[in-house]
Amino acid sequence: MSATEKQDVEMDGKDGSAGPAVRPRGSVAKKPAEPERFALLGVWAVLILVFSLAAPQTFPTTANISNMLATQVVLLILAIGLLVPLRGGDYDLSVASTLNLSTVIVAVLNVNHGWGIWASVAVALLASLCVGVVNGLIVTVFDIDPFIVTLGVGTVVQGLIYYVSDTMTISGIDRALSDLVLTQPFLAIPTGFFFALALCALVWYVFDHTAFGQRLLFVGQSRDVARLNGVNVSGLRRRSFIVSAGFAGLAGVVYAGTTASADPVSGASFLLPAFAACFLGSTVLRIGRFNPWGTLIAVYFLVTGITGLQLLGAQQYVQQLFYGGALVIAVILSKLVRSRGERKRRAQAALSAS
Amino acid sequence: MISSDEPTGSGPRSSVGSGAASAPLLTVTNLTKSFNGVPALHGVDLEVGAGEVHGLLGANGSGKSTLIKVLAGFHDADGGTVTVHGRTVEGPFGARGLRDEGLGFVHQDLGLAGSGTVLEHMALDAEGDAQAWRRVHWRSERRRVQELLDRFEIGVDPSATIDSLTPVQRAMVAVVRAVGSQELAQERAGGERRGQILVLDEPTVFLPRHEVNMLFDVLRRLRDRGDAVLLVSHDLDEILEVTDRVTVFRNGRTAGTRSTDGATRDDLVQLILGARDEHVAKGSAVVRDDRPALLSARGLHGGRVAGIDIDLYAGEVVGVTGLAGSGFEELAELLFGSRTPTAGTVEHGGKTVTRPSPARSMDAGVILIPADRKGQGGALGLSVLENMSLPFLDKKLGGFRVDWRQMSRQAEETCHRLNVVPPNPQALFGHLSGGNQQKALLGKWMDTDPMVMLLSEPTQGVDIGARREIFKLIRAAVAQGRTVMCATSDYEQLVEMADRVLVLDQGRVAAELVGDDITKDALASAVYAEEAS
Repeated sequence: MSATEKQDVEMDGKDGSAGPAVRPRGSVAKKPAEPERFALLGVWAVLILVFSLAAPQTFPTTANISNMLATQVVLLILAIGLLVPLRGGDYDLSVASTLNLSTVIVAVLNVNHGWGIWASVAVALLASLCVGVVNGLIVTVFDIDPFIVTLGVGTVVQGLIYYVSDTMTISGIDRALSDLVLTQPFLAIPTGFFFALALCALVWYVFDHTAFGQRLLFVGQSRDVARLNGVNVSGLRRRSFIVSAGFAGLAGVVYAGTTASADPVSGASFLLPAFAACFLGSTVLRIGRFNPWGTLIAVYFLVTGITGLQLLGAQQYVQQLFYGGALVIAVILSKLVRSRGERKRRAQAALSAS
Repeated sequence: MISSDEPTGSGPRSSVGSGAASAPLLTVTNLTKSFNGVPALHGVDLEVGAGEVHGLLGANGSGKSTLIKVLAGFHDADGGTVTVHGRTVEGPFGARGLRDEGLGFVHQDLGLAGSGTVLEHMALDAEGDAQAWRRVHWRSERRRVQELLDRFEIGVDPSATIDSLTPVQRAMVAVVRAVGSQELAQERAGGERRGQILVLDEPTVFLPRHEVNMLFDVLRRLRDRGDAVLLVSHDLDEILEVTDRVTVFRNGRTAGTRSTDGATRDDLVQLILGARDEHVAKGSAVVRDDRPALLSARGLHGGRVAGIDIDLYAGEVVGVTGLAGSGFEELAELLFGSRTPTAGTVEHGGKTVTRPSPARSMDAGVILIPADRKGQGGALGLSVLENMSLPFLDKKLGGFRVDWRQMSRQAEETCHRLNVVPPNPQALFGHLSGGNQQKALLGKWMDTDPMVMLLSEPTQGVDIGARREIFKLIRAAVAQGRTVMCATSDYEQLVEMADRVLVLDQGRVAAELVGDDITKDALASAVYAEEAS
């Protein structure tokens, strides 16, 4: 997984207290090695191995891998966007509806109204951004819990979707969009996956290496600290909702391309997996922090499990079991791992203090 | 008096003081506790007698909190014995700690929920381990709570919500609540009345100094009934005022126990540090009041502040003090812009600032270090490096690239320079002790090269060693031509540090003390004189 290696290298850059000018006074404690942060990767490897042995004809095949990569692109983009408000300490429950809105707008404009595909896409993205603006404004101007605001706005958006689509499934979206996301330039990997990868890299850079990302982190950790350090807390929160809505819109466009059709309900099924991926992702690589590479790993870990079990004969229900279970287990895990790491670091701090 | 160098755990403690003559209610002998191999308590001894208020002193990290947490059941001791009412209690004490043995605890945060009423909090204790469907008898509960409040002469309505109480009323409610719950427990057990042991862990840190006495009256009443109070505090004056004896911990050992009758601050400081305190010389910084003030305000109004003119000149430490509610706590926030003034102007170097905000103030070299270090000063869950880098994020390419290597180097240097322990910027901010957190924050802001530093209670909850280092840093800053405003109700600190002190009353400057006129007596009379008029 080249992506994770890259993350590692770069993280050393950030965490490298062993810079050239560091004066080693006494024994300066290094950041403790935390093997836990790779635990999910290990479990994933085991999972792949087991399924490859159990279903050698169907699981470790190019077709299956290509399929797994392709089907998860939408979820991945959605989850990556969701990371932004989560890092700022806000829940955005409207992302799934926003995704669906985007998909439906592309279909309605392109199929029903005969608009060009790219104009339809542009309008869909704009509409999605509007949802983010509304979320952000309501949350910051009236200072209301985003959990409830985005729940309400998401439902309103769902209503709009029914209105716009006339509660019909619309098929026949311009092939150009499908071609864009489904072409396989090499190794039978669809282009959509590379888009998602690029977005991961972008969000990772923004999170770890820009003032925006670092300030957003402080907003999420403590609003007061951020405010007293001159951070525009409301502005950042507003922007984070706009970003997540924008990503949701993008995911919706890719979804429209993948299926070449739009129905008014299937978007909702992305909400829980997206949260599951974000929370499970926060137990990998950077424990206790929402991070894009961890989310990438989590998304593909989850789909590996689901696909493998389905190939072994499990029915549709396995998907719900897996996503729901993963969300709950991820939250428990991150709690456990964090308190364990905390104890360790505390001891280390005490050691170097004495 | 026991010398500070006497080895621990040997022989009986000196039995001076009023309460020590009777049999001890609580005896701790040779208690040890390590965390992951790092010893926090090397074997401490403590003896609290009936009818005494017993102080527990020690620098940060000396093991006071660890002992309290062992008694309260947060941690299990590794070794040693605890005897309560003459009965040795075998560890581990379990989640309820020694509560069932007659110990009551009031922690620093008081454990009260803001939206609940006094009655609801106390009724919670009355339910004890009753079945979930047991009906709450509100009428009799109210009677009991009212009786309890009356007995301790606390003028609080049982139906008042905690939010509506003043800090000192909250503290008193917390204490009386602990007393009440112990009484109930004894009633349930049906035994004869035994003396209670009440453990107060730094209950006064967030209280205005002037009101602490109301809390102490409650403690004295408890003492007079023959109960025992163990009071953990940093504040030597409080300890001298209210306690009969003190035990001092130093580096996880008992440094000594002595009567406070006839003891002086210096005696206690010597026990705490193992060395005599020395005041930091104020130095002879030159106040540049011939030039425009670095920060000034005209007719400033806020929630409490009602029309204040203030000028902060280069080279001086200006103290601001007053009674709680006089507005002195709010002034720094108004000047910084984190709280919007309702009227008046703020000027940076003679130029009026329209709509002051934290970002604008920081650009002009004005910084604020808030009193609430854990809630507002730094993010506890992030590393020291991240906390220290926050003002420098857009130094490179306007924030499009954060130079972590450079940040890490700078943070490490600052930690070394200011003697932050551990000197490792990767450590979580929340794991540092209060004094080290404050030093890290001071270092971070000093690296921004500020001209005006607005400090709010800069040494609150900070041990004596770190306190002195912080004073030195502040004096060094003004010697370099900066100006420092220090809002505090700690007179000692003002005497040691300030060139000029403004005493606020009802939102206005009521008195100004300069230079050698700044003494604790002068400050106290200035503050209280306004109250009388």
